[in-house]
Amino acid sequence: MGAHISIPMYQRAVPQRYRLAGQKCLKCGKVNFPPKAVCKYCLTGAEFEEIQLSGRGIVYSYTVIAGGGAPPEFSEEARCKGKYPVVLVELEEGPRVIAQLVNPPAEGITIGMKVEAVFRKIYEEEGVIRYGFKFRPATSDS
Amino acid sequence: MMTKNIVSYGVYLPFLRIKRDEYVNALGSCSAAIKEKAVMDIDEDVITMAVEAARDAIADVDISQIGVLTLASTNFPYQEKVMTGTVIEALRLNKNVLTCQHGNSALAGTEAFLAALGMLEQTEQKYALVIVSDSLSADASMDIEHGFGAAACAFVLAKDEPGLEFEGAYAYTGESMGLRYRLPGETSVRDIGVKTYATQAYNDTVKNAVWGLLGQLGRNPVDYSHVILHQNDVKTASALGKKIGFNEEQMKEGLLFNLVGDTGACSAMLGLCQVLDNIASNDKVIVCSYGSGAGSHALSFKSTNQLLKRTKSFKAMLNKKQYINYIQYLKLKRNI
Repeated sequence: MGAHISIPMYQRAVPQRYRLAGQKCLKCGKVNFPPKAVCKYCLTGAEFEEIQLSGRGIVYSYTVIAGGGAPPEFSEEARCKGKYPVVLVELEEGPRVIAQLVNPPAEGITIGMKVEAVFRKIYEEEGVIRYGFKFRPATSDS
Repeated sequence: MMTKNIVSYGVYLPFLRIKRDEYVNALGSCSAAIKEKAVMDIDEDVITMAVEAARDAIADVDISQIGVLTLASTNFPYQEKVMTGTVIEALRLNKNVLTCQHGNSALAGTEAFLAALGMLEQTEQKYALVIVSDSLSADASMDIEHGFGAAACAFVLAKDEPGLEFEGAYAYTGESMGLRYRLPGETSVRDIGVKTYATQAYNDTVKNAVWGLLGQLGRNPVDYSHVILHQNDVKTASALGKKIGFNEEQMKEGLLFNLVGDTGACSAMLGLCQVLDNIASNDKVIVCSYGSGAGSHALSFKSTNQLLKRTKSFKAMLNKKQYINYIQYLKLKRNI
């Protein structure tokens, strides 16, 4: 029996998926997420300091996946919910990341809305649960 | 002598709730005396809830000083796998923390708590993290399913740091057959459906644990400001509390069943979290768990200092919710 995914590749990505581990370029100071071999901003820095991203950010853009538009690993979720939102979040530290938005507000998603990262099951394949981050409307002010 | 204290705690309640009325409308009745209960979303399980509760608990704690992690649930997503590993990665804990997992009954929550107290002696580090996360499941056709909820809570225990000081524990365990159990490979809890026997076993076991603890510490029920008993429903727990000698005032803040449902291993520990939101200095607390089969652990605490301030109050979490209907509930449970 084998696996559909590359185990070393998945294994390497665990810190970034589970807790948003980013890297700060020691040359230009910009924060890369997901981590890179060479800084995507200065294109020369190859040494980094690992930093823990806060998970807080704002909605930069979003879309709603519906009507059979979900990739196979998310089809069960799409069947259950009918539709689900995907957001492009600009994190406090700078990077922009794509993830699902859970508990979307009834009044609708707005650009600039504050969100925070939450630990969820992303999908399940070959009986293996892939955990990772999604976002939810910010609750820390409540 | 070293004291061990709860210095911080965290809670996670799923955002989704279903009201009792939904059961009544769909099935004609609801066997559980709930007002509403918490329901996990399709992408949640006890591990995701555990991580969220733990993040809440460790927000202001130096995690490099955590040397012990204990994790409890009756409903882990894998029957075999080291799930503390997932939690360690998600929380960025030291990989050399001493770990253990507890399951198999609703007693798992206090088992994990007691284990952490013992394991703290085996580490140079200052803190232990206890996480109790539970979600119960039974077939939609079973009456017992109606009350099954979900929640998680987490506690940071510290050596010699003021907070909620652990004073002692008393256990009472014996055989009580066929009341609530689950066979290997099954996802649904079985229940013999004879409430009289279930209540009798609960009453005897919990009463003996609490009385044993009071005797051991030379105390009376009036010495306690708060008492939190495991809840299979509010009525039975309240009636037993009164029989032991506690009054409504002492019990009211620990009663959560009617708002979140039966949270299994979490039940009594979650009640403790709500109590801790408003605890006063010198208050004494009894927490008593129960697992069908049957066993009970009574734990005694004394408040010696303000606990770490939390950003979210328990009440705020209870109020942050979205209601779903029974069809949506069945879809989330993958029944349809």
